[in-house]
Amino acid sequence: MSTDLKIEGVSKNFGSVSALRDIDMNVEKGSFVCLLGPSGCGKTTLLRIIAGFEHATSGRLLLDGVDVSNVPPHKRGFGMVFQSLALFPHMSVAQNIAYGLKLRGIDKASQRDRVEELLNVIELPTIADRPVAALSGGQRQRVAIARALAVQPKLFLLDEPLSALDAKLRENMQIELRQLQRKFGVTTVLVTHDQTEAMMLADQLVIMDHGVVRQSGMPSQVYREPADAFVADFLGTANVVKGEVSESGAVTFLGILAQDKALPVGGAGIEVAIRAENIAVVECENPERSILGTVEFVRDLGPNVESIIAVGEEKLRVRSRAREVVSLSAGQQVGLKIDPDLCSFFSR
Amino acid sequence: MFSSLFSTRGGSYSFVIFFLTTLGLLISALPVIVVTLMSFSAAETAAFPPAEYSFRWYEALWAQLSSDESSSAHSLGDAMFTSVLVAALVMLIATFVCVPLAYALVRGGGRVRAGMELLFTLPLVFPLVILGIAFLLIAESLALDLGIWRLVIPHVALVLPFVLRNCMSAMNGIDIEIEEAAISLGASWPRAFLDVVVPLMKPGILAGLIFALIISFNEFTITFFMYTIDVSTLPIWMYSRTVSSLDPAVLSLSVGIILVDVVMILIIDKIIAGRASLF
Amino acid sequence: MDPRHSSLRSFALSLPAIIAIAPFLGACFYIFRFSVSGESGRISGFSLQAYFELAEPFFLRSIWVTVKLAALSTLVVLILAVPIALVIASVRGAVVRRVLTVTILLPMILNLLIQSYGWIILLGPSGVLNTALRESGLISRPILLLFNETGVLLGLIQTAIPLAVFPILSASRAISREYLEAASSLGAGNWRVFYDVILPLLRPGLVSAASIVFAYNASAFAIPLLLGGRRVQMLGVAIRDMISPLFNWSGAAAAGMVLIVITTGVLLLATWLINRSTRTPKSTGTSAPLQTGGGA
Repeated sequence: MSTDLKIEGVSKNFGSVSALRDIDMNVEKGSFVCLLGPSGCGKTTLLRIIAGFEHATSGRLLLDGVDVSNVPPHKRGFGMVFQSLALFPHMSVAQNIAYGLKLRGIDKASQRDRVEELLNVIELPTIADRPVAALSGGQRQRVAIARALAVQPKLFLLDEPLSALDAKLRENMQIELRQLQRKFGVTTVLVTHDQTEAMMLADQLVIMDHGVVRQSGMPSQVYREPADAFVADFLGTANVVKGEVSESGAVTFLGILAQDKALPVGGAGIEVAIRAENIAVVECENPERSILGTVEFVRDLGPNVESIIAVGEEKLRVRSRAREVVSLSAGQQVGLKIDPDLCSFFSR
Repeated sequence: MFSSLFSTRGGSYSFVIFFLTTLGLLISALPVIVVTLMSFSAAETAAFPPAEYSFRWYEALWAQLSSDESSSAHSLGDAMFTSVLVAALVMLIATFVCVPLAYALVRGGGRVRAGMELLFTLPLVFPLVILGIAFLLIAESLALDLGIWRLVIPHVALVLPFVLRNCMSAMNGIDIEIEEAAISLGASWPRAFLDVVVPLMKPGILAGLIFALIISFNEFTITFFMYTIDVSTLPIWMYSRTVSSLDPAVLSLSVGIILVDVVMILIIDKIIAGRASLF
Repeated sequence: MDPRHSSLRSFALSLPAIIAIAPFLGACFYIFRFSVSGESGRISGFSLQAYFELAEPFFLRSIWVTVKLAALSTLVVLILAVPIALVIASVRGAVVRRVLTVTILLPMILNLLIQSYGWIILLGPSGVLNTALRESGLISRPILLLFNETGVLLGLIQTAIPLAVFPILSASRAISREYLEAASSLGAGNWRVFYDVILPLLRPGLVSAASIVFAYNASAFAIPLLLGGRRVQMLGVAIRDMISPLFNWSGAAAAGMVLIVITTGVLLLATWLINRSTRTPKSTGTSAPLQTGGGA
């Protein structure tokens, strides 16, 4: 039942406002894709175009090579989980799950079997006859997922489905969701603005901003090798500082000299992204390759200590492991060590 | 919820609020109370309060209703039947047109919505006398035998604002994602509308139905201009019986109408309890 | 979905309702057309004659009586409706709320004839008020309460109370209890809280209620007909008389236009006032009179 999805040159304008510009994307059979970006980046619009609730201004959607751009949403055979979950409040849990089966003309007995099967899969075998209003947040979540999967969808779409849950429950649901998706082997597209969620779930991460795809790839790859300063800044905690490239190709930033970075030469200004966890705080004794900074703010989060340290005009956000860092206090002078090999360099 | 909109602590303030509230409620209810008491009077005259109480006027009403010759032009039974028929038709038509309109306005939005809402509020603020005269003029100049539709058509216009308001407030509470969920599961739009939207609108639809029913059933002014010998309603029958003096039998009929109205209001209140639309 | 598709669908869905309201719009237009007709008995040619003929003492006095009674009843109704709305907003018990709902809604929808019967019994020459006054020796002959302006005024007040309660009540939903608690914590007494917090926040609801009650009572027909007899010639009754004994159709239409101008003028003024005062902090619970539900 699994399918691959190809998005070709999809653009969407709302009046004169351009919401999506020339999106290309390949979703492999059975993979889990997360569309991640700040609010207003166009990720939800893209999902709604895939679902068929919005019509692309230009471009095509290919499902297993077949153009489905003009197929109305109710004939696409996708399963969708909505942000509000959109469980039908006037139906019981079983009626909700069976609704799509009923529409497909499946007989009552098979409907019942399928509902039972799905309730077992979501580990809630006893709630079939309960009204939706009587369910807890996590139970609703699972029922919404079961309802979408009941019809054996060609494509499983989720629009920020976990955003209403509290942190602990959300983490459990993420794991469950991932396991369910593997089990059903269904090609899945999930929209989220939560980077931890995206990193946790995705086989393929698609970072969007202002209606364009900034970067697409495996989560670890996107994290370690961001394509531009936006991605570096958006994913995780990064400090983006200005740097210079000399005629010889040597890069200078924060007084650090780095050689052999493949960058345009000739006095051009560049941007350097340094992840907060890649800055080491050391005793201030002015050793080799350490920079001087002043601690402005410290908070101890348990496993990590986060601090803001001023270096010249830049304020760097630093995350250190609690066990490995010297004790910090505001106003203190410290030394910082930054390994240029762990930094990303972008031309401005 | 707003327990301190008026405080129970303060002396003069609370006193004034309670005094005015009591006075206002008393004035509101006074005519109904008086009519109800009078209908149980044992006397021939309309002296109030009655010296003795009896059911004689209810018996008189019953006699009138059961012995009524159906050929009589001004029979009570005919008027009652016409009233109920008109109210039922008005209720069905108004609801039938308002449910899709409420959907279109809530989902459509924008400038059109504001304009249409305004248009469908107009019958509420338009002087009824003038409407009555205008409808009469049109009916006369058309020279058509409209039958019962003489009353149904103007009544529908009159109840549209109430029905639409109730339908819209129910529609406002329906998240578009619910509809899209049905569509994503394979429902065509009409199917999703019937399976999901209409059931969820049910409280608003029912409240609108009942509003239409009682408003049409109690309408006097427009009907006063539009009625004919063949098509006449209960309020007109009552008016014709009391134009010179008060017939206590009419009062017992009034109590019946009051009871019907109270029951209808309680049903509406029950249906839309917890939602703000009634108030 | 395709926007063109959905706007076509919106139109299709609105069509039945548009057909249902079309006779009403036709009636509005018809009245206007008749008021500028060249002849008084049918539509033919154009003339403002009907309007000029209205400038006679009888009709001008009718306008005066109408405006006076509508304004007076509006004032009294507001004074009574604000406390009622505040009390209803504070009520929690289901039974009390239901009793209040019935008491308030009943005058709005109950057949106006029945309510007039009540007033006739109460205020008539042998009614309870006159009997009581006579028995207490305060008066020797029955005083006239019915078939004069006093009776009509009472009837107008009573039937219009619900119309005022609803908009005020919906405005009171914008008043959070925390505002009141904040005011009292700053040292304001009950009356001060009422003047400084409640009343200003109710203002849109008050304006809306006032304009609806005024428009409703200015165009009243059944109440002045039944309680005022021929003596209190409010516009509604005067217009009827132009048709029924006099057959002056275009005159009635012109008088009707005058009444419409008065009522819509007040409503538009109120809508403008509310839009002006609520432009910045958009309160959810209140709306202009032309968007507010009222009574029939």
